[in-house]
Amino acid sequence: MKEETSEERHVERDSQLSAMFDGELSAAECELIARRLARDEALRSQWSRYAMVGAALRAERGVALHERVAFRVQAAIAQEVTYGEDVAATSTRTAAVVPGEVLRRAGTRRWSALAKPMFGAGIAASVAAASILMLRGQGDTEQPALLAAAPASENVVLASEAAPAPAAGTLASAAARRPSSGEPERYITPPSGQAGIASPARLANYVVAHSEYSGPLSRRMALLGLVGAEAANEDASTPADAEDSSAVAAGAPDGP
Amino acid sequence: MVRDASSIVTRRQSRGHSARLAAVAMLLTVGVALGAEPKEWLERMNHALTTRNYIGVFTHNQGGRVETLRIIHRVRGRDVSERLLSLDGAGREFIREGDELVCYFPDKKTVLVERRAPDGPLLGALPTIGDDSALVYEIRGGQRERLLNRTTRVVTLHPRDQFRYGYKLWIDEETAMPLKTQLCDKTGEVIEQIVFSTIDLPERIPDSMFKPQMDASTYRWLRAERQVASNATPALWEAMRLPPGFRMANRSAQALPGSSEPVAHLVFTDGIASVSVFVEPRKPDSAPPQVGPARVGSSSAFSTVIDGHQVTAVGEVPPNTVELIAKQVKASKTATQGLGLAPPPQRK
Repeated sequence: MKEETSEERHVERDSQLSAMFDGELSAAECELIARRLARDEALRSQWSRYAMVGAALRAERGVALHERVAFRVQAAIAQEVTYGEDVAATSTRTAAVVPGEVLRRAGTRRWSALAKPMFGAGIAASVAAASILMLRGQGDTEQPALLAAAPASENVVLASEAAPAPAAGTLASAAARRPSSGEPERYITPPSGQAGIASPARLANYVVAHSEYSGPLSRRMALLGLVGAEAANEDASTPADAEDSSAVAAGAPDGP
Repeated sequence: MVRDASSIVTRRQSRGHSARLAAVAMLLTVGVALGAEPKEWLERMNHALTTRNYIGVFTHNQGGRVETLRIIHRVRGRDVSERLLSLDGAGREFIREGDELVCYFPDKKTVLVERRAPDGPLLGALPTIGDDSALVYEIRGGQRERLLNRTTRVVTLHPRDQFRYGYKLWIDEETAMPLKTQLCDKTGEVIEQIVFSTIDLPERIPDSMFKPQMDASTYRWLRAERQVASNATPALWEAMRLPPGFRMANRSAQALPGSSEPVAHLVFTDGIASVSVFVEPRKPDSAPPQVGPARVGSSSAFSTVIDGHQVTAVGEVPPNTVELIAKQVKASKTATQGLGLAPPPQRK
């Protein structure tokens, strides 16, 4: 019984992470997951394994950096105090003004900060952060709420430096949903219907590895699938789209 | 004048006669080879794809999307280099040299470096089209067809069951290169198509052709760790049952980016299609288990959890095939001591 509950929790958490990567969670929910990532080393390293690949593969079209969420996540995960302060400051400034220029400059600074731990001990956190930065969906309707809650981002940074204590503000409602068992945040999983493998990134790793061992024909096919991986993801979520196409290779990929 | 003219006609007639004779002789020769011909064309094609240098531009059509790519392929002894470059969109590139596959994502300013397992087979080592394949594919064709102003041989591999896709290939008669490739489902509907618009087979291809077109020095570079922890003997995984015609072709331990432990990698093939199964230990209470189907291009994938391990099957086969194979994976009895940490969940 206990085991099953834990299993269920895993599944739920997984689909939440997936939903976040698909840009389907609200900003507040994203932030909660980010904080969870910051605390849970195992979870973080699990995600670091494939997060970046998927980020790279999926983010070409329709998905862009979500700067504000990015800052939160970054702040939550950052362990170095100075680094955290830097991001927090930037974040606050961004939240107040939000001109594109500031965002871009802030982005540059963030990457250079990320570059340092990339090949060191901080790789897991950095990669996890970067993946979230990159995969956050563009059409997020929660932006105003996120902006309003800007001061909370500083709280998050402080909290992650001191202890994994819950922060105030936007987190309160989510915190109320927590079970008392000690398992941290639970989130609302959107009914996206995409309940398959949650990590296109790890899948990409697998496809690349697989391509090395398949025949020349299928190898090419497999790698080409990766070049158009974002298309694949869309097909997976909206299979109906494929049928609309009138191009040569159209047809139902899900055919028997 | 008149005589001259008639003699020309005569000559023409006799020439036409000998030409007919030659045609008959050729038909006879071709007829002799026809019995095994489609299969031979497939073998010639596989050989060409893995042994020849080629540079080509092709369109890739899948799921209603069209993308133009350039491929540069070079074989020097045991050394295979390959560069796959998207000419559309962000200009992603995959460059394979030696045991490294480097993926450039200029749109994300990210470079991903994948390494092959050191004990993996040669890149050129491919599944052979044996008699097993004929049991599960109906191999037909060999007839000539004009394509891109070239003479090609059309070969179809029609799946005899629902566990694999079919192929239709237009194989260049002179070079045995597949100028056009279609991946079809059981009903013959085209799922994916590759058509070359140009293809060269140069004697030499300089190293400079395998340099990425972008300056990636400022990108983030991500590498898989070269060595994998080898203190624990990796469990020997196997599949209890396989779809008809499939057999295990390879088993290795693979380093994947971020994995501290080797990932068991099994390869199954029916001679044409192949399915990889990846087995990674799940640390209890850490990784969220992943269960269900997924898709990358026309490849299918299925993930499940078996004996505390994350098992994922990937291949250019229909979804039911990867699911079936993934669910059949078990650790061999001789190697189960490595599973001590994970309580084997027997619950159905």
